Amino acid sequence: MSLGLLYLLLLKATVTSFSGMGSLPQIRQDFVVTRRVVDDEQLSRAVLVGRSTPGPLGAFVVSIGYAARGWPGAVAGWLAVVTPAFLAVPLLVLLRRWLYLSRLRTAVDAVIIAGATLLVPSGVGLARDAIAQLFQGG
Amino acid sequence: MSALSLRALAWIVARDCNSTIGGQAAIELMRRSLARAGWLDDAQHGLLLAVSRFTPGTNMLAYCASLGWTLGRGAGAIVAVAAASLPAAALVAVISAAITSIDRWPGVRAVLAVATLAAAGLVLSSAWTLTRPYLRGSRRIWTVASIAIAAALAAAGVTPVRVLLMLAIWGALTPQKETAAR
Repeated sequence: MSLGLLYLLLLKATVTSFSGMGSLPQIRQDFVVTRRVVDDEQLSRAVLVGRSTPGPLGAFVVSIGYAARGWPGAVAGWLAVVTPAFLAVPLLVLLRRWLYLSRLRTAVDAVIIAGATLLVPSGVGLARDAIAQLFQGG
Repeated sequence: MSALSLRALAWIVARDCNSTIGGQAAIELMRRSLARAGWLDDAQHGLLLAVSRFTPGTNMLAYCASLGWTLGRGAGAIVAVAAASLPAAALVAVISAAITSIDRWPGVRAVLAVATLAAAGLVLSSAWTLTRPYLRGSRRIWTVASIAIAAALAAAGVTPVRVLLMLAIWGALTPQKETAAR
């Protein structure tokens, strides 16, 4: 698999997800099922490393890149993780330009409140996992 | 923003993003660090968080890109995203190359469990920090209704991005006079 194709496949997965681990199903489909350049064990290990390492959860994509093409693949994986982030800049510019509209301001407020509400199950899930791990003896 | 400030931004982002596992706790750490330095207020933070939620990919990195743009335009965005992602990416690559599994080390698992518990506390604290300003004043009922709608949609299995889109529509259909200052 060429580095360009590796980057594009990983980018396809990251740009169509909205959370760090959200790209996992697409990555499995492309790398394990369709092209067979990575097996399920390597995929699990990548997820484990990504989840066990400080930093963004999406960093597990770097490990997938490494498994597929070594160090250059890891760089391609990192680029695939960071590329979608820059889409936030035009979104922010557009949002600020139209923020004087009360409907838009209220829509943004509603999204902020919804985002905060969605954090609760994430936080509870993290706590539950951590407590379960502690009771299993670390 | 001066070169020194870009360095300071890089340091804060690198430290806070790479000292927790996952995005929400890191974002909360960044908010606290930047608010202490007077670089970011709660309203700006809320806007950046909303943008990051609508941006594909990793929320934390989208937050860093918009934060960097807010504080230092293009250079700030690149510095913030690189600072947030490079240390973790390097560590992931090194670990991937060096070990087969760290899960078998009980000591590592215990430390990770405690760290995850602390991260969970930060996430829940972040949810409260974001919601609290809306629970004051005349919009309390609208805010509670918004929370109830979001919670009901999430409980019904609606994906997060759809929940956010539906709440955006709800907000656009129910414009409020009072809003958080930005």
